[in-house]
Amino acid sequence: MARLTIDDLKRMRDAAAPTLTLRTGTARARITVHMGTCGIAAGARDVMAALLREIESQGISDVIVAASGCAGLCSQEPMATVEVRSMAPVKYANLTPERMSAVLQQHVLRGEIVAEFALGAGCETTG
Amino acid sequence: MAHRSHVLVCAGTGCVSCGSFQLGMALEREIQKHRLDAEVQVVRTGCQGFCAEGPVLIVQPDEVFYCGLKEKDVPLLVQEHLLKGRPVSKLMYMPPAAAAPVPTLSRIPFFAKQKLVVLRNRGLIDPERIEDYIARDGYSALARALTEMTADQIIQEIKLSGLRGRGGGGFPAGIKWATCRQAALHRSVEPILVCNADEGDPGAFMDRSIIESDPHAVIEGMIIGARAIGASQGFVYIRHEYPIARERLGKALVQARECGLLGQDILGTNFSFDIEIVQGAGAFVCGESTALMASLEGRVGEPRAKYIHTVEYGYKNQPTNLNNVETWANVPLIINRGAEWFASMGTGEVAENPWNGSSGTKVFSLVGKVNNTGLIEVPMGMSLREIIFDIGGGIPHGRRFKAVQTGGPSGGCLPESLLDMPVDFDSLTAAGSMMGSGGMIVMDDHTCMVDVARYFIAFLTEESCGKCTPCREGLRCSLDVLQRICDGTGEDGDLDLLEEMGGVMQDACLCALGTSAPNPVLSTLRYFRGEYEAHIRERRCPGGVCQALIHYEIVAEACDGCHACVNVCATGAITGQVKYLHLLNQDLCIKCGACIEACKRDAILRV
Amino acid sequence: MKLATVTIDGITTEAEDRTPLLQVAQRVGVTIPTLCHYPLIEPYGVCRICTVEVHMRGRVRMVTACNYPVTDGIQVFTQTDRVRRTRKLILEWMLARCGHVKVLNDLAAEYGIDEPRFGRGDDTCILCGLCVRVCSDVVGANVLGFFNRGTTRYVGTAYDEPSDTCIACGACAYVCPTGCITIDHEAEQIRGELPLGPLTPIYIPTMQAVPHQPVIDADSCIHFKTDGCRVCASVCETKAIDHGQQDRHEEIQVGSIIVATGFQPVDAKKVPQYGYGLYPNVFTAMQVEHMVNASGPNNGQVLLKDGRVPESVGIIHCVGSRDKNTHEYCSRVCCMYSLKLAHLVHERSHAKVYNFYIDMRSPGKGYEEFYNRLLAEGVEFIRGRVAEVSDWAITPMEQGKLVIRAEDTLAGLVRRIPVDMVILSTGLEAREDAAEVRRLFNVSCSSDGWFLERHPKLAPVSTFTDGVFIAGCAQGPKDIPDTVAQAGAAAAEAMALIDKGEVELEAYTAWIDQELCSGCQVCVPLCPFSAIEFNKEKKVSQLNEALCKGCGTCVAACPSHAAQQHHFTDAQIMAEIEGVLVS
Repeated sequence: MARLTIDDLKRMRDAAAPTLTLRTGTARARITVHMGTCGIAAGARDVMAALLREIESQGISDVIVAASGCAGLCSQEPMATVEVRSMAPVKYANLTPERMSAVLQQHVLRGEIVAEFALGAGCETTG
Repeated sequence: MAHRSHVLVCAGTGCVSCGSFQLGMALEREIQKHRLDAEVQVVRTGCQGFCAEGPVLIVQPDEVFYCGLKEKDVPLLVQEHLLKGRPVSKLMYMPPAAAAPVPTLSRIPFFAKQKLVVLRNRGLIDPERIEDYIARDGYSALARALTEMTADQIIQEIKLSGLRGRGGGGFPAGIKWATCRQAALHRSVEPILVCNADEGDPGAFMDRSIIESDPHAVIEGMIIGARAIGASQGFVYIRHEYPIARERLGKALVQARECGLLGQDILGTNFSFDIEIVQGAGAFVCGESTALMASLEGRVGEPRAKYIHTVEYGYKNQPTNLNNVETWANVPLIINRGAEWFASMGTGEVAENPWNGSSGTKVFSLVGKVNNTGLIEVPMGMSLREIIFDIGGGIPHGRRFKAVQTGGPSGGCLPESLLDMPVDFDSLTAAGSMMGSGGMIVMDDHTCMVDVARYFIAFLTEESCGKCTPCREGLRCSLDVLQRICDGTGEDGDLDLLEEMGGVMQDACLCALGTSAPNPVLSTLRYFRGEYEAHIRERRCPGGVCQALIHYEIVAEACDGCHACVNVCATGAITGQVKYLHLLNQDLCIKCGACIEACKRDAILRV
Repeated sequence: MKLATVTIDGITTEAEDRTPLLQVAQRVGVTIPTLCHYPLIEPYGVCRICTVEVHMRGRVRMVTACNYPVTDGIQVFTQTDRVRRTRKLILEWMLARCGHVKVLNDLAAEYGIDEPRFGRGDDTCILCGLCVRVCSDVVGANVLGFFNRGTTRYVGTAYDEPSDTCIACGACAYVCPTGCITIDHEAEQIRGELPLGPLTPIYIPTMQAVPHQPVIDADSCIHFKTDGCRVCASVCETKAIDHGQQDRHEEIQVGSIIVATGFQPVDAKKVPQYGYGLYPNVFTAMQVEHMVNASGPNNGQVLLKDGRVPESVGIIHCVGSRDKNTHEYCSRVCCMYSLKLAHLVHERSHAKVYNFYIDMRSPGKGYEEFYNRLLAEGVEFIRGRVAEVSDWAITPMEQGKLVIRAEDTLAGLVRRIPVDMVILSTGLEAREDAAEVRRLFNVSCSSDGWFLERHPKLAPVSTFTDGVFIAGCAQGPKDIPDTVAQAGAAAAEAMALIDKGEVELEAYTAWIDQELCSGCQVCVPLCPFSAIEFNKEKKVSQLNEALCKGCGTCVAACPSHAAQQHHFTDAQIMAEIEGVLVS
């Protein structure tokens, strides 16, 4: 990557923002698997692997999969945040590979929140 | 005075990134302009769950929901709805009938009560992608610090914010930076920056989590610090047991270097600084500043006398500014949003004197006998009760709260009577505990406080470097006394002896590990003396933990002879025929407690 | 220099800002106990026994005096209840580890501890780290270190193996406050060396010498082994010590030279039948001389290699003297020094002492009387040459002893005498480099290598080279009084030349006619006085008339008749002959 100047920094921020917020851009949904040490210890790698496998086998191309840090509620890891366009993000807790693929099917593809595994909707207060 | 109306502006991450802060401030200005500030209050809430159409706000008690607002909509909104009481329909949004069948996070106390400053990006960005961090305003504070601020202005900003060291000491960061800068200028020696990521407290993982979820925040904080202090070399001293954090930090450093945010001529401003990762080798004492620097230099990690401060003579005798991970991660936000904003969180008036209070937020790892264990960030000054019962969700299995241990192994145990105490540096110290780096261990009534003290003293005995006599021998002798109390052979003078040893250790130990080591004993003696006395005088362990002082009994009325206990008893201490009363042979019982877990009829008692 | 006003136990004094508090306290006579402190080593502050109470701007702190830097206005209290309570408990903790160490028990008594509450441990090391620090910071050998952590911490060497980098300097044992480090005097390897060099690296080589100055022995000085130490330099107030000094050659112009290069003792290994180097308890007289020195390695005790006191000692005279296999001459001094050693060994060890001699040579004032005194003391004298020393025992009495087999010429039989120790009275011989010195000064040697005087009676200190004199054992074996007398004579001869200021030359020196010289260089090696040099530029030989003795060798040898002698030219000689023939 080229060395940045301050203007580049601003441009980069503007360009990268959509990938985080889904407000613009082409992706249908973004799935963030929380992969801190706590999550990984509870099985987040398996969840992530299952998710990627599922997406590949079904040929889904408009879903962003991202890894991120701990979501805070370590006792209920592995967790993932599913954000579907025009809907509030939903945090799922105590996931397994099977539950993850259920969430992918039902929530991401059909737009119905899997209440059984959902912890809550929305995101945390910052600042 | 109660306000007639509340405007709940969403301060969830989604809305913030669409400008809800600016919106809130515009609202406040407009309300002020119309002199409605006595009647209408602007409140910033957690995510209201509809991030896709942010920024959103709700006007209470009317339950009117606005979304997709821009700053230019504010005058209309205030004039029409708040002044004249007519909701503005063109700005309103009616959520679809099939609302989400799950609660929003702002209605879940675990999330609602938290305020994410340091952890602002947790769970949102990919820590291995610098683009994600930049998208969330990352490195904009650095750009500001490099182009718009002088070194003195940066230090002044940090001073005014009242930021105190998050690693345990609570020393004001601004004063430390200024001293280090002065020492370096005075001696014309290059200062060194160090980030302490040698988090060794049992049950504490704040620093690990910060680095894992947002490594660039720490790096940006350090670069800003380097600019303020005038350093060109920095180290992150991270413990060997954090492989993921170390890997992510390493990747982040590589990316930052590739982007010209580290190295020579940062952002084209002629300023140069670089960071190196150094791994600890697993010694708890290396979290202590002088021991850490000895270890950095490649010597044995042992503390030295601190009559000469490390900000003057630290790493290789250069002025060295050591701050912990969380402290550094706070810096970019203070620069971006201003000292005033930071000081508005927390307790006390810190702008004039940072020692007057504790500003900002604090990250805690909430563990032990609490329902929601995890990593939380709350404003300084929140009560222990709110943290443990609202965020933590109380004690599992309906048991009673007994104590909370703050500040890691050398912290103290605080009882129920202090639950309403605000959590800040000075209150905790006054209560005989300490903030430490932010470990918080909740204990229920099945905990024995003598055993807890013994556990922590054993940990410290193991981790003491053994350099000075009072720490090495004092801890060993204290452990012997605590052990004999737990074994039921405590003697009458033991409590006075423990107090005497604790006092001398506080006076005479070489480093902070030693001087704070007696805290677990002294604080439990202060708040739970009765429990110690029960061990010594009545040979009884009220918590039912100390093996020598408990035994198990079978309640004849409750036992239905199901044989479950016989099956799990490893030593054959329980005998009896199916459907007949079982008997327990005390001589064979090793008090493992397996029977009590197996019994479905509560027929076995721990006495 | 910034001054700080400090009050210690009510005594107000001034000290340089940031001086260690302990130093200031010692200066005003306030005693603070210390265990991990040693003035030459950087303060460490770990025993904490020097904890005192410091009041500064309303704050009270407990600090360690050894490393606390004083600042202006502090008030120090060294005997408050809090201080005493702290020290007392620290002592109890130390006793729990090292219950039987004297220095701790002495301090404990001072602080009113009858019976420590945590019992008494059996260790002796209080982990003060003085040994580790002196080894790394002062000596620089880095042999000792701390191992493990916390309660299992201990001092040791790498991998707990005997260290090859230890130079056995003993510094660790010297600074250890509890005496838990000792240098093992019994250890064979240390005893085996029995150093003949100086006892301490810094010493005055000859006490009567002028100038009376000490020197550093580079072989035993720690600095030259580890590049560390320099303790001597740090305590030398006049800053006279320079470890960087090197040997250097100096050219000095002089008018006369006294050659007093001395002798060397005969190597006892040249007499193999006496077993020197084979049996550990066969010593040379020089070694025993060192042993009986009161400030020597054994503090003047006569001991065997295994540390035992000998019960019987044999002294063999004439080792390397009066012997066709080595030197035929008598070394003159051995009889008397053997008698002295016999006396000292007998006195120090009460051993039975046997002397094996050929003839007892004790000429001189008081010497014969000394011999008689030894006879009265019960020292045995056996007249006859010793055949061999062996450990081959025939009788049980000889088991484990050295057996001296010798002919007793007075009794007319061969004796076998078992002894614990054998002392060889080695003779004197010319130094190895005597031949080089001889060439350098152009003096002659006897066949034994002793320098020859010009005339045994008329010129006993002069040589055949003018201005070069000899004195002492370089000229032949002699004792100290004779040496001093001869040295005085040589000095007087040299003084006489200096006093006169000029040298009278003989008139009949040779000269070389530069026109006639063909540059054949026949004369150059022939000149016994090195007076002729070849001039390479002019390609002719030139003669230094100041060195020429007028022997005429060159004149006779010169094929081109370029070398001529004043007053003895061919023409003059021929004329003389003519004159003789005419008359």
